[in-house]
Amino acid sequence: MSVATAKTDSTARRWRRDSELPFQRLDEETIVVDPRNREVHLLNETAARIWELLSAPRSLNELVHILADEYDADGDELRAAITDCVSGLSDKGLVVSAGGAR
Amino acid sequence: MKARPQALVLASDGAGARCDDSAVVGMESAAAAMLTHIQGTASARVVPLNVMMELTLNCNIRCLHCYNLDRDEPQGATAPVSACGTAKPELTLDERLSLLQSLRDAGTLFLGLTGGEVLTYPQLFPILDRARELNFAVQLLTNGTMLQPGVASRLAGYRNLLGVSISLYGATPEVHDGITQIAGSWRRTWDGAHRLRRLGVAVRLKFIVMRNNAHEMAAMRAAAAANGFSYAVDVTITSRHDGSRSSLQTRVDDRQLDELYRGPLRDLIPTGKREASKSDSFACNCARGSCAISAHGDVYPCISVPWSAGNVREQAFVDIWRSSPVFQHIRGLRLADYPACVSCSDRPYCSGNRGAAISYSGSYTGVDPFVCRTAAVTRRIATESPPRD
Repeated sequence: MSVATAKTDSTARRWRRDSELPFQRLDEETIVVDPRNREVHLLNETAARIWELLSAPRSLNELVHILADEYDADGDELRAAITDCVSGLSDKGLVVSAGGAR
Repeated sequence: MKARPQALVLASDGAGARCDDSAVVGMESAAAAMLTHIQGTASARVVPLNVMMELTLNCNIRCLHCYNLDRDEPQGATAPVSACGTAKPELTLDERLSLLQSLRDAGTLFLGLTGGEVLTYPQLFPILDRARELNFAVQLLTNGTMLQPGVASRLAGYRNLLGVSISLYGATPEVHDGITQIAGSWRRTWDGAHRLRRLGVAVRLKFIVMRNNAHEMAAMRAAAAANGFSYAVDVTITSRHDGSRSSLQTRVDDRQLDELYRGPLRDLIPTGKREASKSDSFACNCARGSCAISAHGDVYPCISVPWSAGNVREQAFVDIWRSSPVFQHIRGLRLADYPACVSCSDRPYCSGNRGAAISYSGSYTGVDPFVCRTAAVTRRIATESPPRD
């Protein structure tokens, strides 16, 4: 699934993190290792929270709903940031489509 | 709100550590900056990001230089004993599975599995299964001789397996098998290395330089390069954890050391004068960002430093990590606490190998003269002008 599709289909598509990738929290950040391409990714606090939430399949709407309670951010700004983050994680193969829409 | 991943960049091996034990096999080809940052952060915050777990002392070969024990002696005579004098049993599978959860909770990401020979450990795959469930990045250290097709295929199926380090001791069967004392081991090691790589597993060869194989070092490096393997080179043989010292007889002598660093290992020494660090720290990653756990449950600062900070059978790992007197002591050491090193002009060229120091002198802050001589040779060659052939 392309990033563009992810963005336009944002209300329906669900995402989950790749459950076999090694990762670990290091204080507020999270390290994710991808042995397939020998890359290490360091997620900042907010991206780490999204990574944590994507231990279970969730749509962008669900992420926005949950994070709206945790962050003092404008709704549109929050949605844009979450979409941007999930797209970035998806581009790197760290999160994958969980298939069906809810 | 900024939700974008802070940095999505390549990373490399275990920078920040002096010794090779916390190097991340499989990550050598990537850029260093990210992993340097991560390892530095873990070390500064005293998080055990790297743990080497020794699964067994059993081995199927009998290397002359083995740092565990003298395998030409009856093993019962050298096996670790408890306070009451009985042989300590190795950790059970259940104990190890529980320990993995403790490591996960304590912040470990990079999990090394070693031996003895790790593939002789009959419960290796249950350990790997649990390590996958707990999202560890796993590295395996092996002699490669037991990587039969079925084993190699099974290993390649673990997506969290970062890489495998395979020890090689010669360019020819005669030299390698003479060191392992097992006929056919050279062939089986190479077969195992090729088999794993064909399956897509990152393999790094590890060359231990010894009196008996120094003359083959150029050929070993050429063979690795010709076959597309990365490799690491280590010249330091230590005394054994069982206290025996016959392993030291395998060390290269000073003449060989000089010839090696002027010849086949010359490129490992950057030319030029190095300045001593202005820091009062003389720390490696031991007890800061890494540690090791012996087959019997003792928690060491590093797999090559047999100085027990506690045993996981008697204390929770996290308690040993946070508050054991041994680890607290190591974390508090400053350069001035290393009497032979503090004013040494060769210090900028020294590996500072603590495993060699404690195994030779009995003191973590002591020295092994071989390490000192290696630093002196390194300095001499690095600072020669013009370079001498």
